[in-house]
Amino acid sequence: MLKWFRDIRSNLNTWTVLSIVFVGLILLPSLSIILQFSAETNENWNHIKEFMLDTYIVNSVILVLFVGLFSAIIGSSLAWLISAYDFPLRRFFQWGLILPLAIPPYIGAYTYHGILNYTGVIQTTLRNQWDVTVNQQYFNIMNMPGAIFIFVIFLFPYVFTITKAFLARQSTSLVENARILGTSSWRIYFKIVLPIARASIVAGVSLVILEVLNDYGVVKYYGIQTFTTAIFQTWFGLGDLGSAIKLSGTLMLLILGLIVLERILRGRKRFSFTTTKVTLLQPVKLKGRSKWLAFSYCMFIFTIAFIIPFIQLIYWAFLTYEQGFSTEFLQVIGNTVFVAFAAAAMITVMAVVISNISRLNRGLIAKVFPKVTILGYSIPGAVIAVGIVSLFIGIDEVIYQWGWASSYILSTSIVMLIFAYIVRYLAVAYNSIDSGFERIGIHFTEASRMLGNNVTKSFFKVDVKLIRGAIFGGFILAFIDILKELPLTLILRPFNFETLATNAFNYATNEMIHEAAIPSILIVCISAISIYFFHYVLERE
Amino acid sequence: MYKKILFYSFLVLFMLVLAACGNDSTSESDSSSEDESSSKDEVNLYTSRHYDIDEELYEQFEDETGVKVNVIEGSADELIERMKREGKQTADLFYTADAGRLHRAKEEDLLQQVDSDVLKENIPDKLTDADKEWFGLTKRARVIVYHKDRVDPSELSTYEDLADSKWKDRILIRSSANIYNQSLLASFIELNGRDEAKAWAEGVVDNMAREPQGGDRDQAKGVVAGEGDIAVMNTYYLGGMLNSADEEEVKVAEQLGVFFPNQDTTGTHVNVSGIGVTKHAENKENAVKLIEFLSSEDVQKQFASANYEYPVNPDVEPASTLKEWGDFKEQDINLSILGENNAEAVRIFNEVNWK
Amino acid sequence: MFVHIRDLHFKYPNADDHSLEAFNLTIQKGEITTVLGESGSGKSTLLRLIAGLEMPTKGNIMVGDHCMCSQSKFVQPEKRGVGMVFQDYALFPHMKVEENIKFGLQKWSRREKKTRLNEVIELVNLKGFEKRYPYELSGGQQQRVALARALAPKPKLLLFDEPFSNLDADLQFKIREELRKILKTTGVTSIFVTHDQDDAQALADQIVILRNGKIIETGSPSKIFGTDCDISERLAVKPRVLSKL
Repeated sequence: MLKWFRDIRSNLNTWTVLSIVFVGLILLPSLSIILQFSAETNENWNHIKEFMLDTYIVNSVILVLFVGLFSAIIGSSLAWLISAYDFPLRRFFQWGLILPLAIPPYIGAYTYHGILNYTGVIQTTLRNQWDVTVNQQYFNIMNMPGAIFIFVIFLFPYVFTITKAFLARQSTSLVENARILGTSSWRIYFKIVLPIARASIVAGVSLVILEVLNDYGVVKYYGIQTFTTAIFQTWFGLGDLGSAIKLSGTLMLLILGLIVLERILRGRKRFSFTTTKVTLLQPVKLKGRSKWLAFSYCMFIFTIAFIIPFIQLIYWAFLTYEQGFSTEFLQVIGNTVFVAFAAAAMITVMAVVISNISRLNRGLIAKVFPKVTILGYSIPGAVIAVGIVSLFIGIDEVIYQWGWASSYILSTSIVMLIFAYIVRYLAVAYNSIDSGFERIGIHFTEASRMLGNNVTKSFFKVDVKLIRGAIFGGFILAFIDILKELPLTLILRPFNFETLATNAFNYATNEMIHEAAIPSILIVCISAISIYFFHYVLERE
Repeated sequence: MYKKILFYSFLVLFMLVLAACGNDSTSESDSSSEDESSSKDEVNLYTSRHYDIDEELYEQFEDETGVKVNVIEGSADELIERMKREGKQTADLFYTADAGRLHRAKEEDLLQQVDSDVLKENIPDKLTDADKEWFGLTKRARVIVYHKDRVDPSELSTYEDLADSKWKDRILIRSSANIYNQSLLASFIELNGRDEAKAWAEGVVDNMAREPQGGDRDQAKGVVAGEGDIAVMNTYYLGGMLNSADEEEVKVAEQLGVFFPNQDTTGTHVNVSGIGVTKHAENKENAVKLIEFLSSEDVQKQFASANYEYPVNPDVEPASTLKEWGDFKEQDINLSILGENNAEAVRIFNEVNWK
Repeated sequence: MFVHIRDLHFKYPNADDHSLEAFNLTIQKGEITTVLGESGSGKSTLLRLIAGLEMPTKGNIMVGDHCMCSQSKFVQPEKRGVGMVFQDYALFPHMKVEENIKFGLQKWSRREKKTRLNEVIELVNLKGFEKRYPYELSGGQQQRVALARALAPKPKLLLFDEPFSNLDADLQFKIREELRKILKTTGVTSIFVTHDQDDAQALADQIVILRNGKIIETGSPSKIFGTDCDISERLAVKPRVLSKL
């Protein structure tokens, strides 16, 4: 009893309290979903099982498998090239290769289809200049391989950034040893880089996979039936929210299962050894053919993942800028940047608190809290939105009844939307910050505590300074994600509140892709600026 | 000391956001407190339509009446869900581009009856809910388009005919996730019965030239590109293509002919964009005023010309592009049916594996 | 007696076995104690328990006159007045040598800080290196910075976690001698943890041999090592370590 009291008291500090509050807040909206999950099955559920589930699961698995595989290969190989070698434009590629993240996949999907289809620039040129009409099959991107392509080129930067950060700092001694031993570059990549960077690659790939599983825009437009399609079909087509939530729950369990499986597979082989001695990997200058090979590879990826879609968008914007651009747009830009900034800042603070406490704690908190952060990321946005509306209406009802306000104030304000962003994107910032903490290990903190500083003081004097990059990286990733976010913004925004993403999406769903170009370009530009800024800050360290 | 800093930095952060939002809500509550005295200057609208013309019309409405239209756009189903959750504190109007969705809102007990002589005059009964809970504002037909060189319009007759094996590998149509296809099938369930509707869907799946993909415009492009010979699409998409800024799209549309099916039998499938006053509307008067405004002759004209939709007001002529296609006989069912049969339609689509 | 540990038990949350079981130890003031054991013997855990970085499942720890840990009490590491030199030194990479050393002296006045800095810098023989960053130093120099940093706040007790494992054999030998001299000059009570019996023999006033979380032998170096110097049987240390001789 005494001992129990002692344990509680010595664990109870600001950090624990704050993180418990945060986690509680995040769990609340999921509660209604979890409650629904245990509801009884109905005839719709049987229909779903009989006609939908099999193909939808198979499609989802194929999509996840290939997108995961290719983005791992492309992301990690680019990260390796750029951390270990020097070749033309390397400095640019360091951040240029993150830029594809600035293009929302659904916009990318529309754009690529727009380029390749019958009235697209390629076929039009062939037809009008050389009178060549091609077989549509070779230009059809609206199928499974096409969707995989879209997801890979616009999402691989998740793997690229996280792996690059790891390689630049942590792999030095191993790689240098291997170089001295005369190991060839390929061998180093496969035998050393891939195994030691595994944790970072997996962290990046899991972000990619979660994005893919949650996507509705691309798969709907390309006509691919995935788990998300099934959820929306059930909700909107069959009008059965209960079964839709059941499906979401199943998806959530699947994702949690994947995470656990990965942990088990990784087991004790957690190669993310934490040495507190950080030395930067010195890139080797490439010569001759290999120099241009490396350059061409990076340039090729950059071209298809950024330049081509961006130019197409600009062309479309020129077609419609007269009707599209107005002063109201400034308001929309302001809205977008404001909510994204506010939400990303709060997400970052919360992610730091939760990550720090689960790192210092060895008990239940360390195990449970990280999983909770991923909860919101693994449920389709539209389903979370339902939980959040219920929650806020409930709170407002209380406020209203107790006479604290004359009408519903929270659910009609932007608070609800920002809260939703937090629930959804905490995992993004958390992943980045947590990998930062993992990188520095716990010895610096312990050393600081041994020198008379408590956890909070140590955090501000030591930890923060060492993981500044990771914290900022987490902030930027969350910021960009929120810029692009759709379902939550659509459902939860207050009256007369437009963001660039809703604006672009509204046009795109009405098949007015030309009009969608201007807001899309703005999303891309704002994201690109923040990516550059992010890179600049990291560089200076 | 640092604990305090941490704590205060939190407080400040949250306050900042609350303050920022507070600004919004104070400005809102300002206007709502004025409401209580005058209660005349705003109306809240949930809409799933995202057309620039809509916004222009709301502004016109504000100029004419002084009533500000507050808008949240979103997908119809999500907005319905939101209204359900919001209970008494919700929008005044629900506006969406499918009769089935309007019916669902009605079924969920989210709408209320509106008696207005103006509306009775402006909007035909058939395009109005039987209990006057919602009103159609614009009309679109789901037609067959064909390649002018490859298909002789005399080959075409009815929707039902599309299941005939002579169309094997010639039909382009989008996925069953699309509401327009769901409503189309829902109308067949009503007219021909479930079994025939299912047989039809099966036949069409057999005849598809490719797996469903893309939007309505993509089906039209597919026909011109030679992937198929005929496609099923909504009229206003073709209208939009004919008047597109991209001349390639215009070229595509010009190679296509429009065919209104079932002229000798049940008529061509039409659907509406419609609007209804919510059950707990606080600004009902303004809401009704807005509907009346949108159904007025002048506004209907603007609708029709900007978006290539058919006006519902019988006194207004459609845009010239649409007029060239000629008059046609419409399906004679109350549009509520589309909503009632929607879930059944989705089940059939799944059963016949219409992607 | 200065340090008194009684009936200490520790188990990691997911482990089946205790990492440390019924551990008892007494250390006199100014004495250097070496805990010798192979990896996994629980010796690092012991150090972390004394430091307050882990919480024991059972047992008491007294340092000086203060109870650090009992059934009802747990003093946080920053309040214990115990210093520690980490195996990898954990020098803060974003701070210069002098900042690292002054890090533990926050409550001191500026002048006191300066005096103390000079004292310990002199003690560890690092004059002229104050403005360098840790990565600009050699391994041996880094280790001396770590020692200076730990000594600066005048801890009651100093803990060393495998302090020589990152140094090459030559340096190890030299530093060992130096370290013993410094410790004896300052008179600080200290505990070393090592797997290398050379270290133990050269440094210790008292040696504790640990295996599977239990003490199997305690005594002075001469008692432990006797005449034949071969305790590998008792230690179950792999011959690899011995070959370093």
